Amino acid sequence: MTMLTTMTKAFATSVAICLTAASVALAADIAVVGGKTDDAFWSKIKKGVDDARFVVETNGGKVTYLQLQTYDNLGPDAAGLVRTAISQGVTGLVVPNWVPEAEDEAIKAAADSGIKIILMNAGSLDKAKELGAINYVGSDEYLAGIAGGEYFGKNGQKNVLCVNTLPGSANQEARCKGVIDGITKAGGTGKQLPLPATSFGDPTAIAEAVKATLTQDGSIDGVITIGAGDADAAASGIQQAGKVESVKLGSFDFNEAGLDRIKNSAQLFAVDQQPYLQSLLSVSLLASHIDFGTDLPVKPVLTGPGIVDASNIESTLSGVSKGAR
Amino acid sequence: MSSKTASQPLAMGQTSTSSNVSGFSVGGLFRRPEAGAFLGLFGVFAFFLVFGSIDFLKPAGAASWLNVAANLGIVAFPIGLLMIAGELDISIGSMIPAGSMTVAIISGYYELPIWLGIAASLALGVFVGLVNGILVVRTNVPSLIVTLGTLFAVAGLVLGLSVLLTGTTSVALKAPALAKYLFGQFVANTFQVIIFWWLALTALYVYVVHYSPWGNWIFAMGGDKISARNAGIPTARLTIALFVLSSTSAAFVGMCQAILFNSAQVSAGMSFIFNSIISVVVGGVLLTGGFGSIIGIFFGTITFAVVNQGIYFTSFDRNWSSLIIGVMLLLAVLMNNTFRSMALSYSPKKK
Repeated sequence: MTMLTTMTKAFATSVAICLTAASVALAADIAVVGGKTDDAFWSKIKKGVDDARFVVETNGGKVTYLQLQTYDNLGPDAAGLVRTAISQGVTGLVVPNWVPEAEDEAIKAAADSGIKIILMNAGSLDKAKELGAINYVGSDEYLAGIAGGEYFGKNGQKNVLCVNTLPGSANQEARCKGVIDGITKAGGTGKQLPLPATSFGDPTAIAEAVKATLTQDGSIDGVITIGAGDADAAASGIQQAGKVESVKLGSFDFNEAGLDRIKNSAQLFAVDQQPYLQSLLSVSLLASHIDFGTDLPVKPVLTGPGIVDASNIESTLSGVSKGAR
Repeated sequence: MSSKTASQPLAMGQTSTSSNVSGFSVGGLFRRPEAGAFLGLFGVFAFFLVFGSIDFLKPAGAASWLNVAANLGIVAFPIGLLMIAGELDISIGSMIPAGSMTVAIISGYYELPIWLGIAASLALGVFVGLVNGILVVRTNVPSLIVTLGTLFAVAGLVLGLSVLLTGTTSVALKAPALAKYLFGQFVANTFQVIIFWWLALTALYVYVVHYSPWGNWIFAMGGDKISARNAGIPTARLTIALFVLSSTSAAFVGMCQAILFNSAQVSAGMSFIFNSIISVVVGGVLLTGGFGSIIGIFFGTITFAVVNQGIYFTSFDRNWSSLIIGVMLLLAVLMNNTFRSMALSYSPKKK
């Protein structure tokens, strides 16, 4: 009798295990390829993945974050992680298209083997269509620039200077071009200030370049920098030129000092690409597509430009303290 | 003076003694090692006055190159001395962000007293300098390679620790009034207070290098290290001291930057490596060592800063900045070198 009960129990358990295994195989099994999480940007992406994981796991699926060990060999390493994901038999893949030449072949192979793909952070909708991915979730540097330029225009600025400490880099050129086009559309003018390589990473040289340019051209009333650290230097340049009242500062991305300036009205705004949203949305959209067949008609999904200014500084600061901003 | 014999081959670098003997002469003045550097600076000034505007010499304009020169100059002096002694230190490129991140993490992130942050930042400079110096002296590996190693090691350490401790790569710092007054204020709203540190250090270096036996020792080491040691100069201790000086100076500049800009990031400072070597060479120090002067480095640093910042006072398209900087620096060095060889080979007419 007891023997029979034990056997029945064992049988029931093994059936249950088989059923569970079967339901796991049917639910979304998603791999996310990303950067090193010790980097401020990717740690926010990681938080988005972890938060989306709750939804995926509730429906019986799972999410793995495959991270690069270094950035020295970006394209081939990312392609390697994509192939790892294929061999793990995942049903969904979220991957940044950093180096198309190196990664496209692997991403196509994943699509051919039936894996559903979303391009995240780097790429475009055209690229997503070409590779058979269902969507692109990320930002567009040129559109982010336009948003910055238009924000200046809306705030009454007429002549904006885009300080570019990395002239020649495609991303930064796109940002500055966007700023100039944005302020022009709003009825003002703008120009780029490309700094020589000897100034890169020297806040004094950047501050003095901004100060000298503001002193030479009295009509400039807006300054935007391509990075958060450069904004610290530009703020000092504006202050030295004695133009804190008349010249407004903006920046792409932000750091703690920048948020303090926005809080104290020493900086107008910062343009944010909201990395947390990139992974949160990618993973949940993909899981829902695999599990329930949904398809979001919004393509591409742009997570930026988000604007941080005096109106939302408090909620941004609380987001920073929780590791999502 | 025990180093009298050793100082023989460096009469070129030490003309102060010869001019003292012969009294004042225009020829003697022009044969000083810094004369060429001064002429280079003069040429650069003339260029920007012609193509730029007079704003360049007004206080606000002057501050724009003095501020850059002061930050660079404090690092350029010890780099110049190392080059005179036949060594090189490129780890300063990561010591600058290391200095600023140390003070920002300790006094900004953990909100400990600023003096602790400043002391820790300078102590880190002393420590890295000791590592550099001892490795160079003990292993005989060229100092370029040793400091290349510490350059990356310190950069990695700063990035790793900063992410581990604070979770970010950029830390804000609000220094109390006294620290701000001493290290990070704008005098008359435009001159960084570090300019005064730089001027004071210039005076100190001029005394030590040109009027104390230490200076002769450094020149002797660059001229011929073996003979210098045989002549009784403590070359090992002196080399270590110079490395300590350079990385502590770099940490000092980084610390001042963090206090001035209320913020520190792990990535800044690499441009200082190249810029300081350029300033030193423009200032007339030979890449082979054994020749140079503090005043020369002083003028060289100003020349570099003027060439870099002067461009913003001209109407040239900014896309050409780097080209103009390159050509101007080359002209300044050529002027300096041609003049020096003319001056040194000049012999007065026999009466």
